Amino acid sequence: MSVEVLQVTGIGFSYNTVEVLSDISFSVSSGDYLGIVGPNGSGKSTLIKAILGLVQPVQGSIKLFNTPLQQFTEWRKIGYLPQRLKFADPHFPGTVEEIIRLGLLAGKKIPRSRTKSDDDAVEKILQLMGISQIRKRLIGELSGGQQQRALLARAVVGGPDLLILDEPTTALDPETRGNFYALLHDLNRMHNTTVILVTHDTWSIGKYATRFLYLDKRVVFDGTFEDFCHSEEMTQFFGEYAQHQICHRHDAEGSGNNGFR
Amino acid sequence: MVRRRAFVLIIIATMLVWSACQRQEQIPAAGRLKIVTTLFPLYDFVRNIGGDKVEVSLLLPPGVEPHSFEPKPNDIVRVKKANVFIYTNRYMEPWAMDILRGAGRSDLLVVDSSASVTFLPAREQQGEAEESVDSHGAENLHALRMDPHIWLSIPNAEKMVDNIAAGLAARDPVNRESYYKNAEAYKSQLRRLDREFQEGLSVCRTRMFVHGGHYAFGYLADRYGLSYISAYAVSADAEPTPVKLAKLINTMKSKSLRFIFTEELISPRTAKVIAEETGATILKLNGIHNLSKEDMERGATYISLMEQNLENLRKGLQCR
Amino acid sequence: MGFGEVIGYGFMQRALIAGMLIAVLCAILGVFLVLRRFSLIGDGLAHVTFGSVAVALLLRVDPVYTAVAAIPIVLISSLGILKLTEKARIYGDAAIGIVSSFGIACGVLLASAAGGFNVDLFSFLFGSILSISPDELLIAVALFVVVIATAGFFYNDLFAITFDEELAKSSGIRTGRINGVLVLLTGLTVVLAMKLVGIMLISALLIVPAVTALQVARGFKTTILTAAGCAVLSVAAGIFSSVVLNLPAGGAIVVINIALFVAAYALRKTRMRRRGVLS
Repeated sequence: MSVEVLQVTGIGFSYNTVEVLSDISFSVSSGDYLGIVGPNGSGKSTLIKAILGLVQPVQGSIKLFNTPLQQFTEWRKIGYLPQRLKFADPHFPGTVEEIIRLGLLAGKKIPRSRTKSDDDAVEKILQLMGISQIRKRLIGELSGGQQQRALLARAVVGGPDLLILDEPTTALDPETRGNFYALLHDLNRMHNTTVILVTHDTWSIGKYATRFLYLDKRVVFDGTFEDFCHSEEMTQFFGEYAQHQICHRHDAEGSGNNGFR
Repeated sequence: MVRRRAFVLIIIATMLVWSACQRQEQIPAAGRLKIVTTLFPLYDFVRNIGGDKVEVSLLLPPGVEPHSFEPKPNDIVRVKKANVFIYTNRYMEPWAMDILRGAGRSDLLVVDSSASVTFLPAREQQGEAEESVDSHGAENLHALRMDPHIWLSIPNAEKMVDNIAAGLAARDPVNRESYYKNAEAYKSQLRRLDREFQEGLSVCRTRMFVHGGHYAFGYLADRYGLSYISAYAVSADAEPTPVKLAKLINTMKSKSLRFIFTEELISPRTAKVIAEETGATILKLNGIHNLSKEDMERGATYISLMEQNLENLRKGLQCR
Repeated sequence: MGFGEVIGYGFMQRALIAGMLIAVLCAILGVFLVLRRFSLIGDGLAHVTFGSVAVALLLRVDPVYTAVAAIPIVLISSLGILKLTEKARIYGDAAIGIVSSFGIACGVLLASAAGGFNVDLFSFLFGSILSISPDELLIAVALFVVVIATAGFFYNDLFAITFDEELAKSSGIRTGRINGVLVLLTGLTVVLAMKLVGIMLISALLIVPAVTALQVARGFKTTILTAAGCAVLSVAAGIFSSVVLNLPAGGAIVVINIALFVAAYALRKTRMRRRGVLS
């Protein structure tokens, strides 16, 4: 049985009279691995923020787990990894452990006290992510890849049903990137966590995503990767060379450069 | 948000206009000598000497503490328009020089009321309680600043009256007889006040008084042979050290002083702390730098305030 | 005079107790404020207090109650600073500057328009740690309880917001409210404690212990505890040295705070050198 994890209907958003999103509609079912791609400025991050209630769309509606966004309160079910150049200043005094524990706040009522099961969950996730040895390090002192893993740990420690990631691998080297995607894949397959991934990196889309959305202020394409590569409409839209670039990138081990401008 | 801001600005503007209207402006009558004085004692002396022949105004608005006074453009204009400008002494009003530079009129007569007055050095204790600041017994006049509160010794006040009368007479020779006559009459009142002080403070249980404010009453203590300690030095805003406070408390306890003094226009916090520790009662002493609004409205004068001081001193020193 | 003798006096004991309580409050709030770039809010709100006392005196409020009358104005101003950062898209320091200069300008204009105040404004506003009355000590204790309880209650949310406000919001934390709690607590502390220990101390205690703790931080919770510890130590050591060296207490406390910062900085540099990190 498939649950509608996310339903986006007719979302429009403008920023200072510039239209950023126009009539966006799609839905995501439980267990999906959705990739969202598009050129710079196509509104991908804005869409994510609208879904999480961080910005207010001008039009349209959003439903999370069948509840309208305005009434949604079960934030524990959603893990979010935002797009950041870095997550903290080098001198921010939080340890990896403390930051990961922040991921458990969503399910509790204030004062959101710490429990034994919290400590167990944190312990487990440290092992899973392979970051046990840096648990006491300050978050700001970590390398880009370590920070990403820590923040991903924070996003998943509460066992969310939906994981939303916005450009999580931009600052990572190819090997780390590969590991990161493998991890996401495991979460999706083994724990049935729904994944929505915004990325520039079409290689990972091709390899892991069950669906992808091409966004350029509006939904240009919504379907599987296979469909995209065989769609004549898409050949028309992008031109053969660009489509070829996108569809055959998965041979070149995710070198990060993609054809989108 | 904009509307709220405008509303707030309107409120403030209304308050400003309303308060400005509260200030009393004197309507100048033609032909009278225009005099601007800095502190209240000078203002009061001039009132008595000049009578209705002069128009005198006080630079310091009521309630403002003179050691932290900053002249505004209006003040400088007022001095410019005057015939005579009288200040207490160069130690009390260092800003007077700034005003005069700003006013820059050469036919303005400037009177330093302290001519021929002997200054005492600024200290923190006087008389029996004296501990030499530089611990060499003899006063090293170069190391110490001068105490500017000369008007609190009545013989000094008389000299100030003389200086003022001479100034008025010089600027307005037509009325010089009147000025000198009034000055003499006023001085005899001052001398009578002096006698009251001497008699009133002749037989007292103690000759020491402790003051939780700044060092203002040195001249008064000197005149009547009293011992005087203040918590602060001449400058009104230094913070006393814990040791200083402890010593004051000790002194009060060892001399069984039941009263401690505080002064006008300054927060009585320090006196309150000392009173808390010693169980003493707080009494007011007026340094007569400037008047509070209430005192101004009540028509207080230098003499009436000194008489109040005498009363409180007699109480505080437990005089017979 | 011996320390043992001076410390026997009530005013010294109150200075020590109230000083340490207020120090802890300021240190804890200060960690959050410094990390959010609101360091000068203590100074700014003190200027607002100046302006609001001016308003209160102009409206002929009894001097005893002006501090109380100032509270709502200061609290509103602290929320105003927050609003400015949100709506006007300026950083915390500029927002503080705007509200602060507005406050002091109002104070100056109103003071001058009213023809001056009836008491020395500065000594009225800027208390001294040595002149705390027994009643005022109770105020310090009450303030301590209120602020510690509130900050403790919202600790996790405050930490979340300090780390990343957007992430906190996505966890369902009401970031607007929590920010409001932080600035309101700060406003309350400034208004009440300023009268007790003076603006110099409040400003210093809000900033320096936090910055000192950040030099040697090994975690967020330990940072808060270290800041509180440094603040308390500085008050105790400051009062002690002011007695022994016959110095003003407030100044001594601030200097000790700076000394602790220098020590922490040196410690951090030594650690870095030992780890072979180029500074």
